[in-house]
Amino acid sequence: MKILLKPAVIAAFSVVMLFGELSSQAPLGIQLVPAAHAIIGLPFTPLSFAGVARRTAFRTMAWTGAAAATSAAAAETAAAEQQAALARQQAAATEAAIYVPPSPPPAAAGNPLPLGTVVSSLPAGCTSTPVGGVDYFYCGGNFYRAAFQGSQLVYVTAKP
Amino acid sequence: MAIANFRMSAAVLVLGALGMSVMAPTQVRAEAPAVDPAATRILKRSTDYLAGLHRFSADTQNTLEAVLQSGQKIQFDAAASFIVQRPDKLRAERKGDLLDQVFYYDGKTLTLYNPSQDVYATVAAPDTLEKMMDFARSSLDIFAPAGDLLYRDAYERLMQDVTGGLVVGKSTIGGVVCEQLAFSGPEVDWQIWIEDGDKPLPRKYVITTKSVAGWPQYSVVMDNWNVAPTLAQGQFSFVPPADAKKVDFLPLAANRATR
Repeated sequence: MKILLKPAVIAAFSVVMLFGELSSQAPLGIQLVPAAHAIIGLPFTPLSFAGVARRTAFRTMAWTGAAAATSAAAAETAAAEQQAALARQQAAATEAAIYVPPSPPPAAAGNPLPLGTVVSSLPAGCTSTPVGGVDYFYCGGNFYRAAFQGSQLVYVTAKP
Repeated sequence: MAIANFRMSAAVLVLGALGMSVMAPTQVRAEAPAVDPAATRILKRSTDYLAGLHRFSADTQNTLEAVLQSGQKIQFDAAASFIVQRPDKLRAERKGDLLDQVFYYDGKTLTLYNPSQDVYATVAAPDTLEKMMDFARSSLDIFAPAGDLLYRDAYERLMQDVTGGLVVGKSTIGGVVCEQLAFSGPEVDWQIWIEDGDKPLPRKYVITTKSVAGWPQYSVVMDNWNVAPTLAQGQFSFVPPADAKKVDFLPLAANRATR
């Protein structure tokens, strides 16, 4: 249950750059908060009211919704995956939330995630494999590569 | 009856009109934006001062508030430091146990480097600090909340939606006597503490987001201001360590299951 909230909080921090970057110490603290509580809101950045491209982010955030949608995508059929992807696109389109990378779902070997699935941390037991100068991490039937999403380091399923 | 009614109505209308015309100035005074010129004067003095600095650095302590579904608020704290050289250089870093990060901007590229994981990403960036921050936000989802204050046109940006403003009074932040100002707008209220004297530096900045349930706040306290910092060679340019791994920034569209 903890893992649901933790990535949400990490993702939230990732938007707080320069002056404000929040350290990873905070997610350790949040583990005390049951995931059922979830997070519904964070402050706007000043730029969202005072600058260019207003209202681009930081509406009320449906953290749990985003995470649940991705779990469904991993666990369910192709139809469910499409729905989840659609929901996520809608969320982006309505500027509803900064996307929250979910924790890696417990994907069994031979049950690969859709390419491009973003997770906030690697599943346990991944092994590093360099392919063409890029480090891939293999586990649970998936290859991941590291990337920055905003200022947060995430892992994305990819094909080496 | 019809005529009487009509006359009565007309009289009411006339009276009403008179009343309105009499009332109007009062109403205007009552609702008028109570943006106290003294508040904007102090603010502008500060933003002009900061805009006029060729280079500067400071340390910050930041608090971000999250609102749980129950309405309960949780605060998260972090420390950061930054150094700016106008018009086109910035370095900012924060240190933590698990996720250190340094932000480099040298006028040509923008780099995020996580020393603990020895991972970095670099991307071409616009040629001024202002344009770079706009680019980082709109294209990379990298936000600099108090970055408003770094813009040379910070005053215009800050005051854009403001409908109210007042001078709260003297307040001491970190041992420094400041003038506390409070501004309000339709969605966001904010307060700023500006140092008294000939260096009107911002010492604290608090943003209250009213359009999110629970009105979460973001606050930053700034300390150790240096308006003539010594620059180290190559301070703003990232040179990757030998073993550092280069990764990509995900495009914003990567918020999809597939791409």
